[in-house]
This record gives sequence, C-alpha cells and structure tokens, in this order.
Amino acid sequence: MNKLTRKPKAIATWLTASLALAAMVAPAKAADSVNVAFFLEWATPNQIAKVDKVYDEAMGVDVNWTNFLTGVQMTEAMLAGDIDIAFSQGLAPFVTAIQQGAPLKMVAIAVVYEANDCFVRNDLGITSANASELEGKTVAVPLNTMADFAFKKYMSALDVDMSTLTIVDQVPADGAVSLADGSVEMACIFGGASASAAGEVGTPIMTAQQKQDAGIFSFDVVSVTEKFAAENPGLLRTFLEVTDEANAAWTGSDAQVRKVAADAGMDFNTTKDMMADFEFPSAAEQLATYFNKDGLAASGAESIGLVFKKPGAWNVDEKIKRVITGEFLE
Amino acid sequence: MFEWLSDNRAGFALVILIGLVIAFGWSIRIGIEQTRLRARDEVFGDPERTRGGWYWALCGVSALMLVWFYYSWGMARAVFPKAANELCQVAKIDESLAPITAALSIRSRYLKSTTLVVRNNEQLAALEAAMPVDILGRTEIARMQTIIGQTRQLMVIMSSPDALGGSAIAELADVEGRLLGLSDILNAGSADLVPSAEALAQPKWGTSEVEIPILPMTPRGVMFDRINTELVPIADQFLQIRNLSPEVESLIASTAELLATVKAAPSQQRLDEVAEKQRRDYIKALERIFRRIDDATIFPAASMAGIEQAVETLYGAVSRAKGSLGWIDAVFIPGPGIVKSRTQCTEQGSGRWLPKPSDVVATFSTLANPDIAGGGGYKGTTLLWWKWLPVAKVVGFLIPDVLIDILPGRYGMHGEDGSFQPTYKDRLLAVAQGDVYLGAVPMLDGHIWDSMFRVLVALSLGILLGVPLGIYMGVSRFFKSFFDPMIELYRPVPPLAWAPLILTIFGIQDDGKIFLLFMVAFAIMVISARTGASGTQLSKIRASHSLGATNGQILRHVILPNALPEILTGVRIAIGVCWGTLVAAEMLAGTTGIGFIENVARTVSDYELIWVTILIMGLLGLLFDLAMRWVIGRLIPWRGKG
Repeated sequence: MNKLTRKPKAIATWLTASLALAAMVAPAKAADSVNVAFFLEWATPNQIAKVDKVYDEAMGVDVNWTNFLTGVQMTEAMLAGDIDIAFSQGLAPFVTAIQQGAPLKMVAIAVVYEANDCFVRNDLGITSANASELEGKTVAVPLNTMADFAFKKYMSALDVDMSTLTIVDQVPADGAVSLADGSVEMACIFGGASASAAGEVGTPIMTAQQKQDAGIFSFDVVSVTEKFAAENPGLLRTFLEVTDEANAAWTGSDAQVRKVAADAGMDFNTTKDMMADFEFPSAAEQLATYFNKDGLAASGAESIGLVFKKPGAWNVDEKIKRVITGEFLE
Repeated sequence: MFEWLSDNRAGFALVILIGLVIAFGWSIRIGIEQTRLRARDEVFGDPERTRGGWYWALCGVSALMLVWFYYSWGMARAVFPKAANELCQVAKIDESLAPITAALSIRSRYLKSTTLVVRNNEQLAALEAAMPVDILGRTEIARMQTIIGQTRQLMVIMSSPDALGGSAIAELADVEGRLLGLSDILNAGSADLVPSAEALAQPKWGTSEVEIPILPMTPRGVMFDRINTELVPIADQFLQIRNLSPEVESLIASTAELLATVKAAPSQQRLDEVAEKQRRDYIKALERIFRRIDDATIFPAASMAGIEQAVETLYGAVSRAKGSLGWIDAVFIPGPGIVKSRTQCTEQGSGRWLPKPSDVVATFSTLANPDIAGGGGYKGTTLLWWKWLPVAKVVGFLIPDVLIDILPGRYGMHGEDGSFQPTYKDRLLAVAQGDVYLGAVPMLDGHIWDSMFRVLVALSLGILLGVPLGIYMGVSRFFKSFFDPMIELYRPVPPLAWAPLILTIFGIQDDGKIFLLFMVAFAIMVISARTGASGTQLSKIRASHSLGATNGQILRHVILPNALPEILTGVRIAIGVCWGTLVAAEMLAGTTGIGFIENVARTVSDYELIWVTILIMGLLGLLFDLAMRWVIGRLIPWRGKG
C-alpha cells in the first residue's frame, strides 16, 4: 500500500469515527417509533393488542417490543436510551433503580399478583404456626428480587429472627433443586416452573389467605424514562389507554389465551394457570387505589425501598412518591 | 479517620491528580533518556532487554489512572467542585423546556406538527384504501369518506397560518415574549444574587448518597434556577395552547357527530360475527386518528417560527451565561453530562457507570471495615479479617458421624423426671459433631479469604493430581492412551456447563465450588505437565539411561526438571482461569466470597461495589502471579539460558 492510497483511507476512517461520535451526541430525533421492553413467559392481556398491532395503530408510530430477562436489564436499557417504556418491570428493580438515581417514572400498574412463595421442606413439619423453628436454618433466596421482598415480609409477619438464618443467594431454579436435595430448609421462589418443582417437596410458609391478611402482595409496574414522558405525553397516554382496553377486553377465552400463549412463548395450560392468578386493575381502579393519596403504589414502593435500603442511603420514603404518578392514566 | 478522608476526597483527588500528571511526564522523560542510553548496546530479542524498566510501568499505571480520573469525572469533581451544582441548574432549564422543545424542530429534525400531519395523512390514506366496501352500506361508505375527508380538512385548516385563531396567535406571542424576557434575566448577570442558607447547608457533590446537590449554591446557579422557576409556568401555558379557530371547532364538532352516528347506527347489511367485528374495528381505527387530531395541537409551521427564535435566543443566552462552565462541561465531563430528573440531578454517561477513584476507595474502606455492627463488611461478613476457629470444628469435620452410629449401644432418651442422661455414644457424637470445646486457633475470615481458600484448595488438588498424571501421560503408553480420550473429552467443556449438575451432586457448601474450580485447574495442569514431559530432549534421557539411571531416577532427575518450566507456566495460567471462574462458581449458591458480592451488587446496579470487586480480584490475581514469578525465579533459574 503506498502513501497515496493510505491517506484518503485514514481520512475516511477519521470521518466515520467523528460521524459516529456526532451521531452519539446528536439530539434525539422526534419519536417515530417507540421502544417497549417486556418479559417472555409473563402473560398479560395486552399481548393481544401487541400481536394485533393495536398499539402501532392507536399511537400512530411503530412500536418495537424487546424481550428482557430481568427488570435490572430493563433499567439499564432505559438509561442507555434504547427503551422508552418498560412494561411489567418488577417493583423491586424499579425501586433500586430510583435509589441509584435513574431518571425513571412509574406511570401505571401492569399486573397484580400473589406474593412469591417461600417453600418449607415438608419433612420439617414447619408451618406458619411454628415458624420460629426456622431459626438457625438455611434459606435459599434470590437476593434483591420480589421474592426477597416477600421473604423479608414473611419473616417479619411470622416473627422469625432473620439474623439467625443462613441466607444463600440462589436463582429460583437452583433454589428448587437445593430444596429437593435438602441443602436448604426453605427456598423462596418466583416463576412457574421453579415454583411447581419446589411445591413437590415443600409447602408455602403462608397460604394465599394468610398472605392477604398480612397485606403481602406484589405488583409489576409500567415505568418510563422521564424524557419520554416529558416529550411524548400523548403517546404515553395512548399506550396506557390501549393497555387498559386490552385488559377490559380480556375474557380468558381459549382463543385469547392461545394468542397470548403463542406470544409469551408458553404452552396453553401454563398460560391459563398463570393468568388465573393475575389481576389486571383497570385505569379507574389504579387511580382509585394505587395512585391516590397514600395509595398502594407509593406505599408498596416505599416499603420495598426500606427493605432494600443501603445503610446511609437517601430518604426513600420522601422521594419515591414523587416519581410515581397516575397522571397519564387519566 | 475514614470519615475525614472521605469528606475531603475531592481535595485528595486533586493532590493525587497533580502527582499523576507529574509522574506521567517525568516517567516518559526518564524512559526516553534510558532508551537512548541503551539503544547501542542491546540486541533486539534479547530477553535481558525486558528487565527493569520500572519507569515505563509507572508511566502505564499513571496513564491508566489519569484515564480513569478523567472518564469517571473524578478530575472534574476535584478541580471544579462547584460545577456539577451549577450544571444541575442548567439541566433544570433543559428539563422545564422539554415540553416546548419537543414541539419544535430544535434538537430534532422536524416540528412535532409536521410529524403528526405526515403520519396521520399516511394512515388516513392507508385506511381509505383499506375500506371494507363489500360489508358496508352505501350511506355508510359515504359517511366514512366524509369523516376521512373532514379529518384531512382539519389538518389542512390547522396548517394554514391564515386560519390560526386569534387567541392562539395571542397566546403564542405571549409565550414568545415571556421566553425572550427570560434572556434579560441572564443578560443582567448574577452579580447581586445570593444562594439561600438552605442551599449552602446541602452536602457537597458526591459526599452523600445524593449525587449532586439540587438547590443552587452559587450566584450563577441562582440565576439559572431563577430562569427555571419562571420557565415552568411558561411551559404549562404553552402546553395549554390549542389551535381552535371557530372553523376548526365546528368541523371537529360535525366530524365527531358523524362518527357517533356511524358508531351508533346498526350495520346496513346483515353481517356475520367476523364481518361485524371488522366493521367495528374499522370505525375504531378511524376514530383513533380523528382523536389524535381533535385535541388541536397541530400548528402552522410559520406560527412556530417566533417561539423557535425565542428558544434559540434563550439557549444562546444560557450558553453565554454559562461562560467557563460551558467548556468545563465539554472538556471535563465526557458523555451526556448532568441530567435533572424529577427528584434529583444525576451523572449520566461514563460518570455513572465508572465511579470516581476516591469513591472506590471510600467504598473499599467501608467494605474493609471489620466492625460489622458499625456498617462494615458486606451482608454480615467482613472483607478480610480473622476469628477464633474452634479446634473441635475441625475434629468434627474429620470424624464422620456414621462412625459413632455403628458403635454398640443406644443414644440416650429423656427420663421420667424430664432429665437427660447422656450415654457414652451421646458424648462421642458431640465430639464427632464438633459440639465440645477443644480450644481454638486464630484463623483468617471474610469474603476474600473464602474466595482465596476455594481457589487455593482447587489449585492444590489440581496440581497434586494433574501433574503426576500429566507426566505419566508423557512417558507411558498406557497412561497416555487410557486417559487421553477422557481428558480431551471434558477439557473443552466450559466450567459453567457443569454448574447445573454441581448443585445437585455436591449441594450448596464449598465442595461444589471447589470442584468447579478443580475441573478447570486439573485439565490445565495435565496438559502442561504432559507437554513438558514429552518435550524432554531425547539425548538427555538416552545419556542418563546409558549412564545407568533407573526409571525412577530418569523421571525425578531428567524429566521432572525438564517439564518444570511448562508446569509452572501451567500453574500461572490455572491461577488466572480459576479467578476467572470464581464469579461463576460463587453464583451457584452464594453466601460469601468476592464473586458473591459482585453478583449481589449487580442486581442493584451498584457500580462502585462492582468496580471494587473487580479491582480486588485483579489485585489478588496480580499478587498470586507475582508470587509465582518469584517461585519460578527460584525453581528454574536456568530457564531461557540453556
């Protein structure tokens, strides 16, 4: 290669590099597509609207759906500017994101579901009645998830001294295996397959009724970047409206379940069972019970924030309320 | 002392920064001098040339540190501690202006109105083309065409400057005037502005969990904050403006009425369920587009020109008022910079995911604090400390309980008076389970020790089993042929692939993690010992054989020393790979360890903690490697000199 050919190439490389740089710092262009994050294997009625392109039609823009594995990854993608709306982000990752200073907002409730269960091995004979016998035992918990949150709530509701427990950080699938092997005495689990595996050898420490009485429940949220909410409030409103319509149109008929199952990547029966346990509050209900003054959205997020608070972290209870808003549901 | 250090970290960072710059420049000078000095009497390729050269090490380390300081914004915080607070005030302006700029072509290519008109027209055309004429009655078709026509007409009227309503014109002019008025505040300067006492009492940039203090702490900041306060109602006012001339209003009303009629009227033809749904969906789609337009936020392009001008002027005034702050932002704060969100100002970009060196030191000192009750350690375990290890525990670990079970006799039962008289079996069981006191020895404790223990045990097992096997595989036909398929079959399997099995085979204790690391170390040791053994020069073996050496002597005195360089290189590689697998191994069932800390920190996006664990692993790996280099220097001083 002689010098003459080399030089233009160097210039070209330099140009591309600086162009790429310019593209990086260039202001975002007007929204002609909206990027939404969602979970596979997490069935919601709005997947029908997603498949039928109702969102695209109603919002008048292309709606791109991207599948994520964890809520933390959703946060990261939103911070990187690749995602505008995270549909059904767990409350726990949302709260930790806010604690880390991420500019996000909770604008709606996606799914309300029973709190994740903690399974106690059957041969121990421990139930909620004699839960204090758990002290000194080993527990598998996926740390900093909704299951962890539920675990801490159970332990305080049942008056178990948590400092005596050995807590092992395990993902639900591993936790179920360890429970069956007898390596741990209790495993806190989320996800259908792992929960049924754990259910083979263990029993939930609290029944559905007891959980309800103790006020332990979970919900997933719809979170958005503050930038998107400020610049495209109309699009956001329409998005939530379509979601609300899809929820209202949900009858649980086989045809509907099949459609959702295909999109969620699950089989028919699992989808049906999963959705039977889910609640999808309407916009009006959300405004009345979640986003009203001292509503469940703020109190739920606050209690999570207190559970996961780092020592010396900023005052969660004061600030989390301000990133929770029902204004886009109205 | 930690408190004091951490409160003044910006100042220390500045001192270190200056030191680094000096070290960087000075080491380059020395390096060039030395290179010139030695250039004549050194031959390229001579390993002696790599000896010494500490100045280049200093140069590399200080360059790395400088890059770190720069990209983590540590340099900005050390040199301009007030900049972040001022930039936060500017970011507030950006945030408040966002609803206005979103409607303009500033910072985007098109006006929002343009995008809306183009997009809706496209969709109307598509909808018109897709009208299901075969299932609709004639009147219905006519009505729908009227709706489409009127919706288009709406956009036409809204786009025409002549049809813009008088009140909208006045409101837009008002917003424009108010925006222009803001520039005056900026042009007046910040000389007589004072930050409030409350603002001054805020913690400084980076000294608390709140990254950046939000209230203005400098006169310039107060000025920007004042602009922001004025901007909020202006933006609200702008959002309220509607392009509703009487013409538009009547057209909206008539279209809405027509839509309602179409929706309410039963279909003119007898339709089956599918067709009826299709008809309803079509009407719904039509209504959706209409509803996007009926809130009258489409404005003529010309009417936005004044506001655009005003916003440009304001931005211009802001960037003039920023003055030196502008270039601090551009030069010292790489990335998107400081962003204001609802409740706080945060660092976005590299400042967010790359913590400042001083913060890393602070996080490390919290972690390293052995006083767990005082907030030290992590999840109830110290980083590296010591504790008393009861000797009975070790004894209990070594004696299996079954041994006691098979002894004759029975375990005790509680008597009639509720008392318990232990039998000799109970007492022995207590020993076997470590429930007696046999004295205690001091022992290392903490996350680092746990990780190191796992690596060391796995590595020792790997060396003890792998090296003899490898050497025999290098010298014996049986060993080579028998073990070769097995080793080669399992060697390429990534260690993580074993993870699902390990949990159910070994459970959650250390043995599973050690096994995972052992698998890694073992393969490397076998391969390196085998290569070393089979690479022995034949002439040396023949010579010792003809001098009367036995097989054992050949193995000990010829083959082993010859394989040693390869084996020791293998150990070095194995150490590295073991550390590399540690995070995965400790993910299995984490209770302690460096990898465990990192896994938990990841779930809360705690980047400072993640970097601290990365640094600890890196430093420990380096320490191990330095030790190995020393061992190599002692054991095989002849290497490279034969």
